[in-house]
Amino acid sequence: MSGSPMRVVIAEDAAIMRDGLTQTLSRRGHQVVAAVPDAEALLAAVGEHRPDVAIVDVRMPPTHTDEGLRAAKAIRRDYPGVGVLVFSQYIEARSAADLFAGAPSGVGYLLKDRVADVSDFIEALTRVARGGTVLDPEVVGQLLGASRRTDALATLTPREREVLALIAEGRSNTAIAETLFISAGVVEKHVASIFAKLGLAPSDTDNRRVIAAIMYLES
Amino acid sequence: MIVPAARGSGRPGRTYPGLVRREWDWLLSHPVEADLLLAAVLLVATVGQSRADPLILAVSTLLVATIPLRRRYPVQAFTTALLIAALQVGLGMQPRGDYAVAALQPTVAEFVVAVLLYTLAAHTPRRTSIRGLCGCLILSAIAIARWPGSNGLHPEPAILGASALLASACLTAWVLGDSVAYRYRVAYYAALEERAARLEAERDAQARIATAAERARQLQERRALAVDESAARLRRIERDLHDGAQVRLAALALSLGEIKEDLEADNDGDGGRARMLIGAAHASAKEALAELRDLARGIHPAVLDRGLDAALSSLTESSAVPVELTVSISKRPSPAIETIAYFCAAELLANVAKHSSAAKASIVVSDDEGELVLTVGDDGVGGARPGDGGGLAGLRERVQTVDGKLRIDSPPGGPTKITIVLPGHA
Ligand SMILES: Nc1ncnc2c1ncn2[C@@H]1O[C@H](COP(=O)(O)OP(=O)(O)O)[C@@H](O)[C@H]1O
Ligand SMILES: [Mg+2]
Repeated sequence: MSGSPMRVVIAEDAAIMRDGLTQTLSRRGHQVVAAVPDAEALLAAVGEHRPDVAIVDVRMPPTHTDEGLRAAKAIRRDYPGVGVLVFSQYIEARSAADLFAGAPSGVGYLLKDRVADVSDFIEALTRVARGGTVLDPEVVGQLLGASRRTDALATLTPREREVLALIAEGRSNTAIAETLFISAGVVEKHVASIFAKLGLAPSDTDNRRVIAAIMYLES
Repeated sequence: MIVPAARGSGRPGRTYPGLVRREWDWLLSHPVEADLLLAAVLLVATVGQSRADPLILAVSTLLVATIPLRRRYPVQAFTTALLIAALQVGLGMQPRGDYAVAALQPTVAEFVVAVLLYTLAAHTPRRTSIRGLCGCLILSAIAIARWPGSNGLHPEPAILGASALLASACLTAWVLGDSVAYRYRVAYYAALEERAARLEAERDAQARIATAAERARQLQERRALAVDESAARLRRIERDLHDGAQVRLAALALSLGEIKEDLEADNDGDGGRARMLIGAAHASAKEALAELRDLARGIHPAVLDRGLDAALSSLTESSAVPVELTVSISKRPSPAIETIAYFCAAELLANVAKHSSAAKASIVVSDDEGELVLTVGDDGVGGARPGDGGGLAGLRERVQTVDGKLRIDSPPGGPTKITIVLPGHA
C-alpha cells in the first residue's frame, strides 16, 4: 500500500515476531525473501538474495548481546546497496553512533515497539530501503537531553532544535513544515541556519541532514 | 632439680622471733654479704680456737672459702668441704690425743659442713642431698670413733653426747634445707600449673578465634555466592522478559496495529465501537511495552552484557551534562559488581543533571589491587549529602551489601567528587 514492493530479509530470533512481520509485509505486497533466526544466517541470506532492505534484531543467538548490530555494520560495509533497519527492545545512543558512523545512508535504528504503528513502520522501512535514514525518536530524545554537550549545538535556537529533532527522525522538509505548522520556506531557512551553525558544508544535501543528527552522538 | 635461690621469695610479712627484723631482712636480700659475714664469724672463732696457728688457720680458711660458693655450686662446694673435713678426721685426729698432721686439726670451721649440707638439701634433688647427709653421718661416726676420748680419756656419756650432737646437727641442717627445697618445689609446681592453665586458655582462645575466622570466611563465601547468584538470576529474568513477554507483547501490538488500520481503512460499516476498543487495546499494548522496557532495564541493563565500558559510555552519551569518561581496568569485575557500579554511575549522573548545575562532569573507573574504583565528579555547586530514602543513601546501602565503600566529597560551592570502591568480586 505504501510505495513499490520491496524485497526484505528478516533476522529475528523470536519466531512469533518473525512470522508476524512476514505476514504484515506480505499482506502489503512486499516480498520476504528470507526470515532467519541469527546473524550468520542473515549474512548468508543477504549475500544470496541482495534484498532492498534487511530488518535486523540486535540481540540474537549465540550470545544475545549485540550480534545483530555487528551483522548490520558488516552488511553496510559489504553490501552498500542493501538498506539495514536495526530494531531492538532497547535503544542505546552509543549503538546509534556506531551504526551511523561514516556517511550514513540506507540505515535505520528503531525501537521494536514501533512495529505497533504498522504504517509508520513500513514507511520507515521504505525510507531505509531507498537509501534514507531513520532514527528512533527515543534516541533523538536522549540526544536532545544531552544537547548541551557541544558549543555548536548550544547556539541553536529552540525552534532550530525542534527542526533538528525532526530531521534526526528522518522527516522531509515538507513533513517538518506540516508538523510545526510553518511554511516550507521557513523550514528551509531554519535548516540552512542549522547546517551553518553546525559547520556542515553544502555538499550532498541528504547526508548533511543525518550528519546533523549524528553530531549529537559524536560530539 | 636445681631451683635458683629466689631472692626474697619468702612469704612477705613473715617475722623471725628473736632477731631484729630489719637486719634479718637486709641479710635475706643480700645473700652474698650474709655469706661473707658468716665466713668472717667462723674465721674469727677459728683464730680464737687455734691461737692463731697459721697452718690451722690456712686449712680453716680453705674450708670457710666454700661458703660464698655454695649457692652457685652447691654440690662442688659441699664435696670440697666434706673432703677437707674427711682429711681432718682421717689425718688430724688421733684416738690417743696427738695429731698426725697438726695443721689438719678440726676447728669450729667444721660448722661449714652443716651449712653446706643445708644448702645442698635446699638446692639439689633429694637424691643428691640424702647422699650428702649419709656422707656427713658416716664422717661423724668416724670422727666419734677417732675422738681423743674414745681410748678412755673421756667418760662414755660425753662420747654419746658428742655423737648425738654431731648427728643431730647434720640431720637438722638437712631437714631445714629440705623444707626450703620443699617450699621451692611447691612454688615451682604451682607456677607450672599456672603456666599450663594459661597455655590451655590461650589454646582455647586461639581455637575460638580460628572457628570464628572460618565461620566469617564461610559466610563471606556464601554471601558472594548469593550476590552472584542473584545477579545471574536478575539477568535471567531480564532475558526471559526480553525473549518472552516483551516479544509476545510486541507481536500482539503489531497485530492490534494491523487490525486498527484495517478497521480505519473500511470506514463504512458500523464498526465504530470495535474501532474504539481496538484503538484502546493498541494504545495500552504500547504503554505496556514501554513500561515493561523500563522494568526490564531496572532489573538488569542489557547493555552491561557488552561490558562496563560500553554500558557507561552509553550512559554518558545521553547525559544532559557532558561527561568525560575514562575506563582503565585490567580485569573485568564479576557481573554483580559491574551491575552495582553501573547503577551507581547512573544515579550519580542523574544527580549531576538534577542538582549540580555543573558545566561538565567526569567518570573515572580504575582498578586498584583487585578493587574497582569508580569516581564521579562535577564542577557544580556542591553540597551533596545523603538524605533519608534518597538516591545517595540507597547507593550506600547497595554498595555495602558487598563490603564496598562510598565517599562523598562535596563542599558547599563545589566541586563534587563521589568515590565508590567495590571489591573485584562480591
Ligand atoms: N552532584 C551534586 N551536586 C550538588 N548537590 C548534589 C549532588 N548530588 C546530590 N546533591 C544533593 O544531595 C541531595 C541528596 O541526593 P540524593 O540522595 O541522590 O537524593 P535525590 O537525588 O533523590 O534528591 C540532593 O537533594 C542534592 O541536594
Ligand atoms: Mg538522586
